[in-house]
Amino acid sequence: MIEDIVSLTSQALVAMIPLLLASVGEIVTERSGVVNIGLEGILILSAFISSLVTFSTNDPYLGLLAGALSGLSAGLLHGFISVYLRGDQIIAGVGFNTFAYGISILGLINTWGHHGASPMVSKVPFFGAPLYISPLLPVAFMIAIICWFWLFRTSSGLRLRACGEDPRAAEAMGVNVLRMRLLATIIGATLTGIGGAYIVVGWIGQFTRHISAGRGFIALAIVALSGWNPALAIAGSFIFGFFDAISLYLPVKIQLINPGLNLTSLSYIFRIIPYLGVLIIVSFFFRRGRAPRDLGRPYIKE
Amino acid sequence: MRKVILEVSLSIILSFLIGYTTLILMGYDATKVFSIVIREGLSNPTYLMIRSTPLILTALAFSIPSLVGVFNIGGEGQFYLGALSSLLIAHITGNSLLSIITGMAAGGLLSVLIAVIKVKRGVNEVVTSIMFNWIIYFSLLYLISTYLFDPLMPYQSISVPKTARIDYLIVHIQIPAIFPIAVLTSLVMYFLLYHSALGYKMRVVGISPKAARYAGFDPESSIILSMLIGGAMGGLGGSLLILGHTHAIDSTMSGLYGMGFAGIGAGLLGRNNPIGIILSSIFLSMLIIGGEAAELRARVPTELADALIGMIVIVLSAPYIVRLVRVRR
Repeated sequence: MIEDIVSLTSQALVAMIPLLLASVGEIVTERSGVVNIGLEGILILSAFISSLVTFSTNDPYLGLLAGALSGLSAGLLHGFISVYLRGDQIIAGVGFNTFAYGISILGLINTWGHHGASPMVSKVPFFGAPLYISPLLPVAFMIAIICWFWLFRTSSGLRLRACGEDPRAAEAMGVNVLRMRLLATIIGATLTGIGGAYIVVGWIGQFTRHISAGRGFIALAIVALSGWNPALAIAGSFIFGFFDAISLYLPVKIQLINPGLNLTSLSYIFRIIPYLGVLIIVSFFFRRGRAPRDLGRPYIKE
Repeated sequence: MRKVILEVSLSIILSFLIGYTTLILMGYDATKVFSIVIREGLSNPTYLMIRSTPLILTALAFSIPSLVGVFNIGGEGQFYLGALSSLLIAHITGNSLLSIITGMAAGGLLSVLIAVIKVKRGVNEVVTSIMFNWIIYFSLLYLISTYLFDPLMPYQSISVPKTARIDYLIVHIQIPAIFPIAVLTSLVMYFLLYHSALGYKMRVVGISPKAARYAGFDPESSIILSMLIGGAMGGLGGSLLILGHTHAIDSTMSGLYGMGFAGIGAGLLGRNNPIGIILSSIFLSMLIIGGEAAELRARVPTELADALIGMIVIVLSAPYIVRLVRVRR
C-alpha cells in the first residue's frame, strides 16, 4: 500500500511537468488578454521536433531547446494573428491544433516510415531514487514561482496585467499594449514548447501519435481553476498529474491480481479518469468572474 | 459576397502553397501529389457524396452554436455517440428511423450537458467539449473491444442488420440516400436560422447578448437550444455514416476519428452558412479522399489533409490578412 502511494506520487510528479509548464505559460498569455487554445498543437509539434533533434544529435538537452524554439515560433504566429491581424483567437488556436497534428504525423511517417511511434531517443536522466524525479521538476516549479512574482510583485507584471484588464488604461499609462501582448503570447508558447519536448525527452522517450492526449486542454482547465495564478497552478497540475498516474497505474495493477483480463481493453476504461476528473472538478469548483476582463478581444488603437 | 469569396479562396490558395512547400521540403514530388489529390478526389462522385455526408452534419454541429457565440468543438464526441447509439438501436430493433432518432437524441443530450455546464457554472465550453470527446472515445474503444465486437470478425463491432441499412436512393445512377438527407437537413437549417423568428433570436444573441436581453430574448435559452440542435446534427452525422456506409465500427475507430474536427474546418470554410457548408464539405471531402489516394499512389501520409485543413482555418481566423493583400494591390 505504502509502495503504491510512493510510486503513484512519483508518477504524478513526472506527469505534472508538461501540465505545469503549459498552464503557467498560458496564464502569462491570458493575463495579457490573449487566449491561446492551440496549446495542444504546440505540445504535439514541439514533442515531434524535439524527438527529431534528439534522434539525430543524441542530445536530449538540444531536444529541449528545439522544443522551446518550436513553441516560440508557434507563439510568434499566434501572437501576430491575434494581436496585429486582430484575428479570432479561438479559431486560430483550433486551426493550429489541426495543422500541428497533421504536420507532426506527416513528419513522423516521412522520417521513420512508421505510423504509430518514433524509435526511442535518449532521455534526460531521473534522479532521487527510489522516486523518479526529473531535473525539469524543480525548473518547472521555479518558473511557476518566478512568473507569480513577475505578474504580481513587479511593475512590468502590473503593466502586463493591465493589458488584459483594461488595454486603454494601459495605453494611457504608456504601455505598448500590442507589443506586450505579443511578448506574453511568445513566452507562454515557449514554456508550452518546453513542456511538449519534456514529454518525449524527459518522460516517454519517444514520439507517439497521441502523445499530447488532450494535455493542452487539461492545462487550459488548470488555468481557469487556478484563478489565473501561477502559484496555484502548481497544485492544479499535481492533482491532474495524479489522475494521469492513476489511469496508467490501475490497469497494470489489476491485471497483476487477475491475469485473465485483457490489458489493452482494461486500459481503455482507465484512460477516462483524467478527463472525467477534469470535468467533475471544473464543473463543481470553478468560480466565475476571475478571468482577465479583456480576455480574447483584439485591441484596436484609436 | 465578393469579400467572402476572396477570403475563402485566399485561405485555400495560401494553405495549398504552404502544403506544397512542405511536401517539397520533405522530398516528395509535390506537383504529382496535388494532381493525384484533386483527380482522385473527384474520380468517384458516389464515394464523394458518401464522405461529404457526415462532414456536412458535423459542420452544422459546429456552425449552429457558433452563430449564437458558443464554440462547440465537441462535434467529435457527439458524432461518436450518434454512431454508437444508432448501431445499438439498429441492432436491437432493425429499424433505421428509430435508430436515427436515437442517434440525434444522444448527440443532442451530450451537447446540452456541455451548454448547461457553461450557462450554470461559467465553465468554458472548449474545455468541457474536449474532455467529453476523450471520455467518449475511450469508452467506445472499451465497449467495442469487450462487449460489442463481432465474434466472427473481432477487429470490428457487431453490424447494422440488413433491414436497418440505408441504401441507394436511385440505384442506377448511384446516389446514396444519406447524401440527400444531409443536404435537405442543411437546407432546413438554413431556413430555421435565416428565415424564422427562432433563428433571428439566436443570431441576435450571437452578435450581442446585451442587445438580445434588452429586446427581451433570453440568451441562455438560445445557447442551450443552439447546442441541442448542433449536437443532434453531430449525432445524425454518426448515425447516417453507420447506417448508410460503414455498417459497423472498426476496433481502432479509424473510420470515425477526426470527422468532428474536420467539421469545424468545413463550418468555417462555409462561413457558418448551411448552404456554404454543403459546398465546403464536398471540397474538404475531396481533399480527404484525394489524400487517401495519395497515400496509396505516392506514399504521402493521409495526415496531409489535416495539415491543409488546419492551415485553411488559421488563415480564415484573420480576415485582416485579406485586407493586407488588398492594400498591396
